[in-house]
Amino acid sequence: MPDLDQHGHAETKEWTPDVKAPVVMLDRVSKQYGRINALNGVSLGISGGVTGILGMNGAGKSTLFKLLMGKLRASSGAVRLFGTDPWRNSAPYSRVGFVPEHEKLHDWMTAFDFVVTFARLYGLTRDEAKVEATRVLDFVDLKDVMHKKIGQYSKGMRQRVKIAHALVNDPDLIILDEPLQGCDPLARTTIMNVIKELGRMGRTVLVSSHILHEIERITEQIVILHRGRVVALGNSHAIREMLDQHPHKILLECNKPKDVAKSIMDIDEVTGLHFVSDGKLLIETRHLGVVHQQLPDIIVQNGHQVTGIDNPDDDLQSILRYLTGGF
Amino acid sequence: MSSKMDTIWSKLDRKATAISEFTMRQYRTRVSTWAIMIAAFLALFLMLLFYAEAMNSEVEAIDNDNDGLFNEDDFDWDNLGAYNSSVGFDDDGDCTNRTTVSQRDTNDNNIECDIKIVWNAISEEWVIEGDIGVDEDPDEEKYVKEAGHRAFILGIGKFGIVYLLGIFLPLFLATGLVREEMSSGTMHYMLAKPIARGEILLYRIIGYLGIVWPYIIVICTLLCVFTGLMGPGDGFFRWADIGVWMSIAWATMMVTLVYGMIFCTFGILWKNGVVLSIIFAVWELGMAFVALFSGGDSPIQHFSVIGWGLTIVDSGVAMAWADNNTLITMGLWGGGHENMDWWSGFSENEPLPGAEPLSAFTGNPGLGISNWLSFILSTLILIVQAAVTWFIGQAIFKGKEVD
Repeated sequence: MPDLDQHGHAETKEWTPDVKAPVVMLDRVSKQYGRINALNGVSLGISGGVTGILGMNGAGKSTLFKLLMGKLRASSGAVRLFGTDPWRNSAPYSRVGFVPEHEKLHDWMTAFDFVVTFARLYGLTRDEAKVEATRVLDFVDLKDVMHKKIGQYSKGMRQRVKIAHALVNDPDLIILDEPLQGCDPLARTTIMNVIKELGRMGRTVLVSSHILHEIERITEQIVILHRGRVVALGNSHAIREMLDQHPHKILLECNKPKDVAKSIMDIDEVTGLHFVSDGKLLIETRHLGVVHQQLPDIIVQNGHQVTGIDNPDDDLQSILRYLTGGF
Repeated sequence: MSSKMDTIWSKLDRKATAISEFTMRQYRTRVSTWAIMIAAFLALFLMLLFYAEAMNSEVEAIDNDNDGLFNEDDFDWDNLGAYNSSVGFDDDGDCTNRTTVSQRDTNDNNIECDIKIVWNAISEEWVIEGDIGVDEDPDEEKYVKEAGHRAFILGIGKFGIVYLLGIFLPLFLATGLVREEMSSGTMHYMLAKPIARGEILLYRIIGYLGIVWPYIIVICTLLCVFTGLMGPGDGFFRWADIGVWMSIAWATMMVTLVYGMIFCTFGILWKNGVVLSIIFAVWELGMAFVALFSGGDSPIQHFSVIGWGLTIVDSGVAMAWADNNTLITMGLWGGGHENMDWWSGFSENEPLPGAEPLSAFTGNPGLGISNWLSFILSTLILIVQAAVTWFIGQAIFKGKEVD
């Protein structure tokens, strides 16, 4: 029946969250699409702070979020938000803000109207919604332009509108699906700061991304998903350390690679040197951090001319290769 | 009381109005909405041109009784409303001049020089039994304009508005109410809120009605004003027509509610739900024809939406134009002059022009209850149809995985 109270409880019965339950809990959750396993026995318990969900495209990040948002039903296992199963029950969403990955927004509305409209779906009155909308649009730094049509916004501004609309009910749990995708560096920084601020405010925040260093700039708490499984979980430093056990590669572009190679040989942690092509030197090491620390000094001391430095390996794909033993 | 109302309103003025207002604004900003509405408006007003031309053309008088005079013994217009009783007035005196009482009362109802209209239960039709010489040479022009005016309103009202407008507006505007949001990904914003999906469906429908219902009311009001001013009659406006237009508007509003709910549910069920909607529209077209050819009281038509919608109009017509059936019966009788049908060898009354179209477009509520009751009953049944569809729709929506 329609909810005549309209106070944020989607179903007729009152919803009281289980205070002892973790904010987000997944117990051996699997999700199949036909014969494809999008998620495979994922178990997670998250309460408080910012957690980065890291994975390649198709790793299961969005599927995980859709399960949490009650859009998909788990093939097996249990999904809980504040101790409540969200499938066919939208009551827990009174305490959740969700930023979908989808680019699509209602371009014909102003950001203010958009946020006000969706604020009222949390059971706010018209006037309350206006106050809250102004507050959150200010929080994401859009107050000056909030009466412009969303269609005129840049990508970064659109992302921030989405974030603002998800914060309007002052949620305890905020889920952001790839919030940094397609944003320019400035917007990235703004959004990262917003997310960090939410974490400091004691909210539980889940952020997905496929770029490790982006997540590292936001949080230390990381979950790495690969092919529907959790392959690593915990502090990003611990994950980095684990990665350091595997050989890393650093590519230097310089005018005299052989001279540079001689100086670098002095670093104990370097395990191999290769001359790739004209002016390019590939360094192999098990301790990326140590090499990165010493490299600038050595270059400066010996007066080498280095035009470029790159970690061809420092992307998620190679990290996953190490973590999963190359499968 | 008012504070109680305030409380109910302030409760509803959160999610319900948020989604309905959102939907109305969304539709107002779409070019397609305006294109459909303007196209329908132009089509209906094109029909009005034909009507205006018919109302302004002259009709040649016929000497129905072959006495060399034209239209000298017209129908007793003032008493046509007195159905199932005595009507008629012998304007030219060829009945009242007869010598004996039995000659002046050939229909044996103890009233001299009148026409008796009786219900024939076997053939299920009204039969004219007139005293000889009464209303024998009706005024064709007067009749055809009155009958033509009514036939136009019923034709355009029942089929142009209740059926065509009633099915095309929902087809274009309601099928995508939920589906388009699901396909474009914007539904994610709504589904991530503490609101039951059944409510989203309901409030989206209310928003759609917020666009469609005022449009229907405007269309019907404009047509009512134009035909009311242009139509035949002694007064400057045909006030009695207002009741008919109101029932046409009401029927269309009810029908757009039910179709909207059904088509929206089809959209939820399947991404190509419009295909199901079109198949359903064809069924409804068939039922509209069944209702037309059966004179409005076929039991089959009740297995449809349009059948009940047309019953609303038929009930409204029976109330607003109480003389409508007499007008048809008199027109089909045509003054009582028979023509031999050379094919069958039977003699048949020659109907007046306009009588047959009016007869075709007029239906009987056919529920065996009073007109008011059948108006209310049909409305209730349509509301129940909408409610049941909503219930099914929300159950489908609730169990739907939205990717």
